[in-house]
Amino acid sequence: MNSVTTTTETYVQRTWRHFSADSFARNGLRIVIALFIMAAFAPFLANSHAIIRMADGQWSFPVFHSLQPIEWRFLFYVPLAGMIYLCRNRFFAKPGHSVLYLAALIVLIEIFIGFTHPVNDTTNDRDRPASFKLMPPIPYSPIESTPDSFSPPSWKHLCGTDSTGRDIAARMLHGARTSLSIGFVAQSIALTIGVAIGGLAGYYRGWIDIGTCRFIEIMDCFPPLLLILVAINLFDSDKGNNMFYIMAVIGLTSWTGVARLVRGEFLRLSALPFTLAAKALGASDGRIILRHLLPNSLGPILVAGTFGVASAILIESSLSFLGFGMQAPTPSWGDILSDARRYIDFAWWLAFFPGLAILITIMSYNFVGEGLRDAVDPRLRVK
Amino acid sequence: MTTYIIRRILLLVPTLIGITLFTFLLIRLAPGNAAMLKGGGENGGRAMTAEQRLATIKLYGLDKPWYIAYGDWVGRICRLDLGESWKDHRSVTTKIRERLPVTMSIAGTALVLSYLLAIPLGVIAALKRGQALDRSISFVVFILYSIPSFVAALLLILFVAGGDYLNLLPMYGIQSINASEMGTLPRLWDRILHMILPVICLTYASLASISRYTRVSMLETLGQDFVRTARAKGLPERLVILRHALRNALIPIITIFALELPVLIGGAIIIESIFTLPGMGNLMFEALEYRDNPVIMGITVLAACVTLLSYLAADILYVVVDPRISYE
Amino acid sequence: MSTPPLLHVENLGIHFGSPADPVKAVDGISFEMQTGETLAVVGESGSGKSVTALALTRLLATPPARIVSGKIEFEGRDVLQLPDSSLRSLRGKQIAYIFQEPSSSLNPVFTIGYQIREAIELHRPEVDDVKREIIRALDTVGIREPAKRLDDYPHQLSGGMQQRVMIAMALACQPKLLVADEPTTALDVTIQKQIIDLLKELKQTSNMAILLITHNFGLVSDFADRVAVMFRGKIVETGPTAEVLRNPQHLYTRALIECVPKLGQKQHRLKVIDYAGIK
Repeated sequence: MNSVTTTTETYVQRTWRHFSADSFARNGLRIVIALFIMAAFAPFLANSHAIIRMADGQWSFPVFHSLQPIEWRFLFYVPLAGMIYLCRNRFFAKPGHSVLYLAALIVLIEIFIGFTHPVNDTTNDRDRPASFKLMPPIPYSPIESTPDSFSPPSWKHLCGTDSTGRDIAARMLHGARTSLSIGFVAQSIALTIGVAIGGLAGYYRGWIDIGTCRFIEIMDCFPPLLLILVAINLFDSDKGNNMFYIMAVIGLTSWTGVARLVRGEFLRLSALPFTLAAKALGASDGRIILRHLLPNSLGPILVAGTFGVASAILIESSLSFLGFGMQAPTPSWGDILSDARRYIDFAWWLAFFPGLAILITIMSYNFVGEGLRDAVDPRLRVK
Repeated sequence: MTTYIIRRILLLVPTLIGITLFTFLLIRLAPGNAAMLKGGGENGGRAMTAEQRLATIKLYGLDKPWYIAYGDWVGRICRLDLGESWKDHRSVTTKIRERLPVTMSIAGTALVLSYLLAIPLGVIAALKRGQALDRSISFVVFILYSIPSFVAALLLILFVAGGDYLNLLPMYGIQSINASEMGTLPRLWDRILHMILPVICLTYASLASISRYTRVSMLETLGQDFVRTARAKGLPERLVILRHALRNALIPIITIFALELPVLIGGAIIIESIFTLPGMGNLMFEALEYRDNPVIMGITVLAACVTLLSYLAADILYVVVDPRISYE
Repeated sequence: MSTPPLLHVENLGIHFGSPADPVKAVDGISFEMQTGETLAVVGESGSGKSVTALALTRLLATPPARIVSGKIEFEGRDVLQLPDSSLRSLRGKQIAYIFQEPSSSLNPVFTIGYQIREAIELHRPEVDDVKREIIRALDTVGIREPAKRLDDYPHQLSGGMQQRVMIAMALACQPKLLVADEPTTALDVTIQKQIIDLLKELKQTSNMAILLITHNFGLVSDFADRVAVMFRGKIVETGPTAEVLRNPQHLYTRALIECVPKLGQKQHRLKVIDYAGIK
């Protein structure tokens, strides 16, 4: 009788293994993470303020003066989250202590941020003489006009400039921020609403389900872009140059797909014996939904979420392209492209670079989504 | 069968009510409209004339309780009276009717073309599963799927139309300036030339998704038992695939057009504004810029109803095509 | 005896998986069938019997499966070497199949009349009144009111009737060999008996050979002339049915026979096969 050793792996580990086996998905994920980092550190990558400067015998770090509070928060919390993830075993070993340390750290960070004085000036460290200066790789600010309008790509301006001389490369880096943050937040809103509504409909059935399905049916009859344009148009006199407004509108109109999905999953799962068993043990509805049904549906939800972020980014770009989303001077890929349309005859770089950027971003998210979908598919179970 | 159709149409009514109610509530909630009642009311910064204000109040019944106003409004819609445009005081219905043919011809062509191209692609990819052909088709399709329509339009214009490179196709409009001077056949050809780029921009995305669905459906069908039976009967492989497998695989694909239609309508807004085509999408775009509410609302209701009808058509088509589904 | 056998299988080997470490589904089996004879191939799931049956007309999907050795001679010609066109005229016309799941083996979007017509028009182009042939075929398999049933779709029929339709479709071309791959496994017991009785009837009225694949030894007696027992890709015993049932030589055969519950005998436990004891 031979002893058989079986390795057990968790669902997450198995999913990750399937996912990383797909080279497209792996590389897509790398690009997504790279984009995320680029967007987060955009002020350090494209800025007219120097990172380090030495003048008149004094060291200074001008870049930090231009950071807004939200950028400071980005700078602190993202690496913090990364570190927590890397040390997650130690972190969750003694949760009480960890939370305390974390809270203290957060308090310190917020106090620090409170003391910063973001300076909104347009001083230009490129031209100011200094004994030593270290400029960001792209030494231009996205909103800074230069007299070199419509210059094609060159060593000076890697992606050329637009109609008012703003550096396209800088605008693209900062535009990544706009697009990605709108995409993420909008999709998070959509996911939350969709999971809530779909979950309740799928679990409780009956009238809630019928009403929800009817409502989803009605909403689905409106072409999404149309609905968003109408909503933005009706309610905001500023033609929707408000980032939070756009996030909200996109989120409020994109939840139906997720809701359908979650409803289907909950309907299926609540008919399985384990739900009955949980009920027989006296579990409350909330507990069943949160602890049993939701974790089992996470796979498809994550897949839908990934594709949803891509779609939200696409919608945001379309909106600013049409002139109804984020407008100049706020950098946005769609906005650069709408410029491109006007000057397509001679300024090909206005169309090429942002177009390429959008294409690569959406493709990467789609790769990740596809990879996730294959990894999560229960039909591939026996490996 | 007719009873089924009638029943399905009757089931549409609640959804129609829902659509019109939803749109109506949007109108009523819009701040601009509410202000109108008080004698103020701007239109994107433009002050409104007294008669415009009165007309709008009458159209949306802003002075009456919402349920009465809603009833009135629905009545007017049924009589195809969608009010007057704020821009040029012409009937909204007339304006839409003028623009409809262009949009329908382009969107219709795009839909038909995407089906005609996607199905063979999907079938080939399924038959050559895993091989180089399948992988390259899947990759190309994937890229197509990820290109936003306006990026594709701009790139096409850049390289193929006008501009410094190739100057093969026209960039703007639905016909050349001297179209009225051409004979029928040259005019038709001129039209087609102008339609090529917009149709391409609307087609490729649907093409990508339909071909992927076809591939999946075909793969599933090929694994079914009855395909083995058809082979065991001695049918040539060509017939096994085209007659037995494809017929089954196409059943879910046929009904996808209902899902593609809303996307096409949304895409039409972008494409028509880029190529300056005198269609409904462009009308909507102009109306949004000008904040011409009657036109905006009219087109919204129309678009929603068209989508609803396409869902109905898909349901009926499904029952016709799949004998397993009963008329219940 | 100088009449050549109808079917002569020699040293057939079929492997799955990687060549380095293959799964030997069929591991060098040989058997013969004479015209008009009924051979039952009995074995449990995974013994390789279905794979063998499908291989007879090269119905196996050859990417995952690989025929590594042997020959399959039908009326003297090696099936494994036949060109495609000859293979197609072999299928349906000389060798016909009925499968385990009749509900999924019939195309759901075509009427049963159409599917039978297809077979007739393909292999018997000389027939003038195809419709009459179809009705006759349906009648032969015991379907009542066959003229009305022509326009029915498979999902409108019960499991037993679907299997009868499959048999009718197989018989419509008057094949020399009918391969029945577990034809009754998916049906309930009373219908099982009906189908087997139908096959017995057909055996008597035509000179058709039947290759019955089954895991149920209970079906074999009173139906098959000879029986071959398969275990893990090999044929472990073969012989006339009465002989084998009375005097099983191989351990596995004995175990299989004992597995069949006997009517009237009190059994506290069902017999389970002890694989370790079998080579």
